[in-house]
Amino acid sequence: MSAPSSARAAVGATPLVFENVSHWYGDVVAVNNITAAVEAGITGLLGPNGAGKTTLLQLAAGLMPPSGGEVRVFGESPVEKPEIFRHVALVPEREALPGMLSARAFVEARATLLGMRDVKGAAQRALELVEMDTVADRRVHGFSKGMRQRTKLAAALVHEPRLVLLDEPFNGLDPRQRLHMMHLLEARAADGTAVLLSSHILEEIEGVASRILVMLSGRLAASGDHRTLRRMMTDRPHTVRLRASNVRVLAARLVAQPSVMGVEVESTDALVVRTTDYTAFSRLLVRAAHGEGGEAPVTLYDVQPTDESLEHVFAYLVER
Amino acid sequence: MAANMAPAGNRAVSAFGPVSFVQTARVLIRLAWARTGSPVLVLGIAALLLLPMVFGLVFASRGALSGDPVDFLMGRYDSLVAGLATPLIALLLGTSAFSAETDDGTLLYLVTTTTPRWWIVASRVLFASVLTGLLSAVAVLGTGLIAVSTSNPEQVVSAYTIAVFYGGVTYAALFTMLALVTRRALVSGLVYVLFWEGALSQTFQGLQYLSIRKWTAAVAESLTPSGSDRVGPSLPYALVAALVLVSVTVYLGGRRLHRPRISRIGT
Repeated sequence: MSAPSSARAAVGATPLVFENVSHWYGDVVAVNNITAAVEAGITGLLGPNGAGKTTLLQLAAGLMPPSGGEVRVFGESPVEKPEIFRHVALVPEREALPGMLSARAFVEARATLLGMRDVKGAAQRALELVEMDTVADRRVHGFSKGMRQRTKLAAALVHEPRLVLLDEPFNGLDPRQRLHMMHLLEARAADGTAVLLSSHILEEIEGVASRILVMLSGRLAASGDHRTLRRMMTDRPHTVRLRASNVRVLAARLVAQPSVMGVEVESTDALVVRTTDYTAFSRLLVRAAHGEGGEAPVTLYDVQPTDESLEHVFAYLVER
Repeated sequence: MAANMAPAGNRAVSAFGPVSFVQTARVLIRLAWARTGSPVLVLGIAALLLLPMVFGLVFASRGALSGDPVDFLMGRYDSLVAGLATPLIALLLGTSAFSAETDDGTLLYLVTTTTPRWWIVASRVLFASVLTGLLSAVAVLGTGLIAVSTSNPEQVVSAYTIAVFYGGVTYAALFTMLALVTRRALVSGLVYVLFWEGALSQTFQGLQYLSIRKWTAAVAESLTPSGSDRVGPSLPYALVAALVLVSVTVYLGGRRLHRPRISRIGT
């Protein structure tokens, strides 16, 4: 007797593949021509809010067909195939849970709907895994954000899926809970599970994800391990806005330096500097303001990097 | 072949068993009740059920002055139960769960499972229809008991007890479908009950064939001795129409859940 198609599908095939995937809602493009593969291990999906991360995760779960391209989960299209959820779990970002149920009843409900044999045993194991077993009989209604996140995770891991899709899973977790969840996901990954987790904070996922996909405005802006991305982000030109007592003198001292790409005097007390090396520039700025060889010192009122928001960092990656 | 199976495959085979519709339906109905049950809902339903009974009390208190009990009962059952209480209870029970789950995104926890989508819809129709049918039957029996005690003139009470159960199932199927296809199921349902069932189908003869209230009357009247000379939808028509409506709800609802509407708030 042959194994069910979904069981066969789990063997050998890449857990998740996006091939030229696009998706739009009306005339809004949410996902724009993304090609990527998610292998066993932890992959981070990084991008600012509105980048299309949630849409990409929903496409991966087959909750809608892509407008263009192809999504393959263990070698098959996940659209209209409930049986893929034997191997796949999606943890949504939103915290809402059926408030009148206890955490245990909710996780058991999921186990039943997933067709598990030992519903109670599986639910107990999943609740222990996320350290919710001691409060599992309390109603979800009174749970904190962190408890809800862990209940959602228990409901997702109850059937030990081979592909776990998590949408902003660290939201609402305190540092200890965050660390615990990271260890938990790392243990699943070590066991051969593919984990794709989204976040808009690099620091949140760089410690846990072996590979990071960066999304911006629906496009895949960059991908690689966190060191590569860090380097790409820190090697870019920085723009710094300065307010000082004598901007013309300060501009003249800075413009001759090799790490300074350009200087623009904005007003009588404001100056914008573009630099290739932020760290070197910081040291240089102090020397320039202080003055060398008897030069008159310049007083700095304000030093403000103008492009440090995540959107700017991502925008730079897209432009490369 | 089996030798090539990775641990994932073995685990999958051992952890999952045959899926039971009864177990699954129990869980889905429990989840539905968790989203539906509230003191406001209970009060609303109680008020709808008490309304025809109050009329029954007035009828009983007037004794011989009250007129023909058959006319009284048929009139109140048609207007206050089949035309008001049954559709409104079905609307509350049929739309609450799916609408709330769509709005807060918890529908995802149902549609990211291996449960066949039509089971999910069928369980929800079952939940709403059985509760609506039973509650409507209580309204009919209660009103009958108050107005005419246990006399059951021309089998009107027993006929309408069965008929409103039929009506409850049919209305519940319609409103469950409404919850899956529109974000404003409650408002659309109210408009349907008040304008379509309350005014249009009562005014225009041709619309009787598209009115659940008229189908319910057809079922009731076919079970009374004087019902054979009525005009409008026949009993077979009413039964087939209800069957079609329930089937379409389960089929279309199941299709809909393959591509669920998920609120994009928070994306």
